[in-house]
Amino acid sequence: MKNSISRQHIYLISISLLLFVFVLVFAFGVLIPEGKKYRLQRSDLIKVNKKLHEHEDLESNTMEKLKDLQQKNRTVITAFDMPFNPERFEEQNKKWFSNLTISKVDFSKVEGHFAIYEVNTSSEINSPKSFYDFLDTINKSDWIIGINFPIDFKREGDLIHSSFRMKVYCNNLDTNASTSTSEAK
Amino acid sequence: MIYSYIKPRKKSIFTEDMQLLVTFFTITLLMLFLTYAFLLYKDYSFTTQKKESLAKQKAVLSHVDKLEGEISKIEEQKNLSEKIFTKNIVLKDSISNLFDLVPVRITLSRAELLENGLILYGITPNKDVYNFMLQAPLRSIFHRTYSSFYPAQNGWLRFVSTNYIDEEEKYIDEK
Repeated sequence: MKNSISRQHIYLISISLLLFVFVLVFAFGVLIPEGKKYRLQRSDLIKVNKKLHEHEDLESNTMEKLKDLQQKNRTVITAFDMPFNPERFEEQNKKWFSNLTISKVDFSKVEGHFAIYEVNTSSEINSPKSFYDFLDTINKSDWIIGINFPIDFKREGDLIHSSFRMKVYCNNLDTNASTSTSEAK
Repeated sequence: MIYSYIKPRKKSIFTEDMQLLVTFFTITLLMLFLTYAFLLYKDYSFTTQKKESLAKQKAVLSHVDKLEGEISKIEEQKNLSEKIFTKNIVLKDSISNLFDLVPVRITLSRAELLENGLILYGITPNKDVYNFMLQAPLRSIFHRTYSSFYPAQNGWLRFVSTNYIDEEEKYIDEK
């Protein structure tokens, strides 16, 4: 029996086989792993983007909360930033007193993020009511002021001489001095 | 001498079959390479986007930290101011209550309000008025009360009333 496959056909079949093997190797060896990597990268990116959106939501919620707090506590925030001015304080509060003297502004101590200054005050009032009115308005003043003991009321003729100590609280701008107590200047 | 009646045709390696095969594999390989190139490009693009997202995430988190710091600072300010304002109001009420406590027949000349005590100086018509109308309510407020009297020029009595709250007992009372 004579062999009927020509040389031409043998070439054709060989090239076909070679290319077919190359396609198979390329597909399984390169394309499919790369495809798997692509899928993993895509799912990773989706996760990262989801996380980013969560963080952006958190950021916008936090920002909203901060703005809300700033709006509601604007007076308090401004008051803590305001350095104490004895002349202005006297000017604002002299209507409650016949005579008001701020004798000394001393740095007292640092409490957390706040610096505390002590102010000795002596005044003369007509009646205790003036002092009550003063205490009512002190909470609305430009500074955060706490009236502190000792408070002394002494009758002098028709007037009452009063002396008391005030603690003025403001933001501690010196971030290094965050110790609980500092020496008085 | 001619052995065949047909003209010899030129033989080439690119026969029709071969051309078909080459075309088929060319298209197949082209598709494979294009897919591979697409995957490589996407890989690169995903890696870049992931890096950007992570960097953005870091920036967002650091901004959130900063905002939270500001929030806690404002809350601290708010709490402290509320505490101070309440203390001022309580102080006002305490002073008001103290002066309301003093009966009309007794005149105060001086009042010293201390952190844990009260010293009153004044004048009373007699000891009984002082004991019943001033000392009794003071005793109910303070833990220790001391009084001393000395005669005034008009026959009345000058008094000094020293009253203290013991910190330990105050703590127990508050508990």
